[in-house]
Amino acid sequence: MRRAIALIAGFAMFAAVPQGAMAQYEGKTVTIVVGFKTGGGYDRTARILARHLPKYLPGKPSVIVQNMPGANSIIAANHVYSVAKPDGLTIGTFNRNLVLAQLTNVSGVKFDMTRFAWIGSAASESTVLAIRSDLPYKSFEELRKGGKTVVIGATGPGANTYDFPLLLKELLGANLKIVSGYSSSSDIMLALERKEVDARAGSYSSLQSFVERGVVRPIIRARAIEPGIEKLPVDESLAPNPKAKAIMALRSAPEVVGRPFVMTPGTPEPLLKLMREAFAKAIKDPELVAESKKANMDLEYMPADEALKIIREVLSQPKDVVDEFGKYIKFGE
Amino acid sequence: MIEAFLEGLLLVLQWKAFAFMLLGIVLGFWVGLLPGLGGTTTLALMLPFIYAMQPIEGFAFLLGMHAVVATTGDITSVLFGVPGEGTTAATILDGHAMAKKGEAGRALGAVLASSLVGALVGALALALAVPVVRPLVLSFGSPELFMIAIVGLAFIASLSAQGARGMMRGFLAGGLGLMVATIGQDPQAGVARYTFDVLYLWNGIDLVPVLIGIFAIPEIVDLAVRGTSIAGELPKGSLNKGAFEGVKDTFRHFWLTIRCSLIGTFIGIMPGLGGAVSQWMAYGHAAQSARTDEERRGFGQGDVRGVLGPGAANNSKEGGALIPTVAFGVPGSSSMAILLGGFFVLGLVPGPDMLTKHLTVTFSMVWTIVLANVITVLACFLLLNHLAKLTTVRGQLLIPVIVVLIFIGAYTGNNHYGDIIVMLVFGAVGWLMVVGGWPRAPFVLGLVLGKIAENYLYISVARYEAAWLMRPIVLVLIALAVAVICYPLIQSRRSRARAAARHA
Repeated sequence: MRRAIALIAGFAMFAAVPQGAMAQYEGKTVTIVVGFKTGGGYDRTARILARHLPKYLPGKPSVIVQNMPGANSIIAANHVYSVAKPDGLTIGTFNRNLVLAQLTNVSGVKFDMTRFAWIGSAASESTVLAIRSDLPYKSFEELRKGGKTVVIGATGPGANTYDFPLLLKELLGANLKIVSGYSSSSDIMLALERKEVDARAGSYSSLQSFVERGVVRPIIRARAIEPGIEKLPVDESLAPNPKAKAIMALRSAPEVVGRPFVMTPGTPEPLLKLMREAFAKAIKDPELVAESKKANMDLEYMPADEALKIIREVLSQPKDVVDEFGKYIKFGE
Repeated sequence: MIEAFLEGLLLVLQWKAFAFMLLGIVLGFWVGLLPGLGGTTTLALMLPFIYAMQPIEGFAFLLGMHAVVATTGDITSVLFGVPGEGTTAATILDGHAMAKKGEAGRALGAVLASSLVGALVGALALALAVPVVRPLVLSFGSPELFMIAIVGLAFIASLSAQGARGMMRGFLAGGLGLMVATIGQDPQAGVARYTFDVLYLWNGIDLVPVLIGIFAIPEIVDLAVRGTSIAGELPKGSLNKGAFEGVKDTFRHFWLTIRCSLIGTFIGIMPGLGGAVSQWMAYGHAAQSARTDEERRGFGQGDVRGVLGPGAANNSKEGGALIPTVAFGVPGSSSMAILLGGFFVLGLVPGPDMLTKHLTVTFSMVWTIVLANVITVLACFLLLNHLAKLTTVRGQLLIPVIVVLIFIGAYTGNNHYGDIIVMLVFGAVGWLMVVGGWPRAPFVLGLVLGKIAENYLYISVARYEAAWLMRPIVLVLIALAVAVICYPLIQSRRSRARAAARHA
């Protein structure tokens, strides 16, 4: 793996780097700590970046990925926050919902999301609700007025498969019945094909191929946008009152910062700047774009200040909104 | 269709695809041997390498690697009592017991031959299932999957010792396994169960450290206490002749091997049951084949049938698991979930197209599984005598190596020191169980089936209320579960009656 990275780095045509910065990364190894096991979306994003990041870092360091799963990423975030050294050699990428864990005072959280040295986000993940194509409802409005209970398959609380429809049911009055306990979103997809459930929520990227095959039809989305679903109604815009709107906005805010990448607080400014620039360039790298397109991943760079602005917004919500939010949403995967 | 079948073979035999398959086999060989480092993780690590490959080459590489992991994982299980993979733990019970009796060669021969049979049956099932796969998979909903888990748990009856006391212990151990399975955040209300505010426990206990602890540590203690080699003080030369005997065993119990292969395939086809389940159900079924009480007691002491069953099932399940992955884009196991990522990278969209437009690619996968297993098993037979000799190495020399391997193996679960603690705790539990004469297999069965049973029961009731009990397949499975529980009781009564008749 490392050799492969070195090989790619070697072929990369990249020269113009100031000599001073060169020394910072030459011969070093940068570790990306992923808060999940191998194979998931966060892991795949980290690994594709690890392959292309060295090209854009002075001195072309090796970049490796270390998986540190557990407690839905809290363990990894605590590690990067206080155990890792602020030397620019450790990057963390975690569960986007960690900010909600901090907001609702989940025990075990030993970090402040705003104090991380933010690199940015590598993608936004939009949640949609997709219903079986053979159901008569063409839109969310029709479903809401339809009267019949629609069964939603979900994995569990804390996941968008569960939380998104829960708010549609509780705040927008859709007649939904949420059945949770499926082991993965693809398990729900199969339940949907055998008509055990009528609909499922999930990231649009995971549903896209089934939409194209005509198995399901997306009818409503959360705030984050992806090409292909711009025209769907947004859950927040249907909210009956400001509080409901705030709660839905809170749930979906982290999705806009879908793949957060941070470094240890106190990382020196010049190193952070180098890393931010390298990230921005790596995500636009033509080889990376080609690979991610093949792998059905849509990467898009969001600069650190934009990401941090959203994180701050989430954490500055008034107490009554947070309390109400905590009644519905539990921190989870 | 026949044409596509042969074309698939020719695709795999192109030199590039074949070379990539060999590379995959070499990798899978080592991954399988090393405990902890699992096939799933390795697949994820290898995924980036296929970007530049053609679909056939990519699959030959990934599947070639994946197909042999269970085979070589069995070798570690037999030789050292250390599960080489999470999916090869059941082979330890009788396989390692045979190694301790000095029959390592025979056990390895049996496990390799049955692995091959299993792989062939699984591949054949994949090929034959092509026309019927959609209705077959779709007819098994959550209620049916819940009942399969119950049938699995019913096998505890045949995995326990005979008599009321033995049964009670078996079901208690199973209950303990179910309880350990509930650790972590529950998927219905998000409540943290038995986590004691420890972050590590939030996502539940990882299977690999538990399996390593509960099986490997008692063996290491035993080896250290005995102060001999694994095979004890045996006359030299008795090891080597066994391998062929093991192959013969496979054909002596051919129908058992086939039945266990079919169990493995079936569990593989059912998405959501996971690879760890099939081996234990196969082991339970193999234990049922004991005709007398005496034979029954021999299981766990080194009965070759206890090796053949899981050996066949953990290879046949791969062919099975490919079926839902290919036909629906719904992976049958966690490795298949990663393989699914490979589909996209290679520009293929899993789904009905794989059974029509890309049928040759599908068949090339079948052939890869077949060829990879044939090659691996042949290679293993060449090395087999050397491997078996490891059981005559003095314990003091072997123990440090095994201890290092199991610590690393357990740590790869989550890269967290908690993995080591879990391994040590369950090592102590396993040792106490062995000393106290409690069966370990029911515990593991409870552990691997606990989550599945809980979740699918919840879904069944939430979705269908009581009506799920009246679904035809559910009724059949209920009857099957009752039969599985009662079978050992009837069997032991019959054998006692026979013995009594003989004495009279």
